[in-house]
Amino acid sequence: MTLDLAQADGHIRRGRVVTLLGLAALAALYVMALQFTPPERFQGLAQKIFYIHPPAAYAMQLAFVMTGIASLIYLLLKDARFDRFAEASAEVGMVLAVIVVITGPIWGKPVWGAWWTWEPRLTFTVIEMLVFGGYFALRGAVRDPAERAKFAAVVGIMALVLVPFNHMTVYLFASQHPEPVVVQTGKPELPWVMLRSFITGFVVFTVLYMGMVMQRYGIGAKRDIREALDA
Amino acid sequence: MPDTGSYMVAAYIVTAVIVVGYAVNLWRRGR
Repeated sequence: MTLDLAQADGHIRRGRVVTLLGLAALAALYVMALQFTPPERFQGLAQKIFYIHPPAAYAMQLAFVMTGIASLIYLLLKDARFDRFAEASAEVGMVLAVIVVITGPIWGKPVWGAWWTWEPRLTFTVIEMLVFGGYFALRGAVRDPAERAKFAAVVGIMALVLVPFNHMTVYLFASQHPEPVVVQTGKPELPWVMLRSFITGFVVFTVLYMGMVMQRYGIGAKRDIREALDA
Repeated sequence: MPDTGSYMVAAYIVTAVIVVGYAVNLWRRGR
């Protein structure tokens, strides 16, 4: 058990280092985007929200995909580590989702003229958040760890289906949300000076996701050890 | 070019507050 606690502390320590790197990289991204990237002609400075909103949305989807995959593996192997990882990834995904649904409307107001519109991409993002809200409500409602992990895994797998569907909404429906301008079949429609900030944003949010999940995994492991000792 | 700088500032501040706030939260929970 002592070894397990040491392992959990190791995850937390490593996670802290990676998170600190991510925070430093986020500060660097701010300098890069605000000082060294020119504003767009039609949207003005609000376009610079583009360097944080899509990267945060990508990291959110990454988090939910990883939750779904870990949930699936948990159901196959019944290894508690995958449930712990799924829970950690879902929590970080929810934090990223909050960034996405706040920065989106802040961009939408000056560019679309409205804070919010119930168009498909926005609606599906809210549905994803509600499903993961349900995921945590379910986890909080079931006391038995094995039952909790099993039920949560089913919700995690169901939510996984929403991720590609949400991504496709801009193609499937008459969506107001912009289509991808970088990840597409042709060349990216961005000049390099903007593209480099955009790519940096993706790297920054990936590093933050990794660091935060490592820490949250370690916290979950310590909680599970304490629960096992109390039982 | 439209004057939309205040929206940009708001979005960057909100993002920083949420990211740093959650990082601090994780730090405390990990102790």
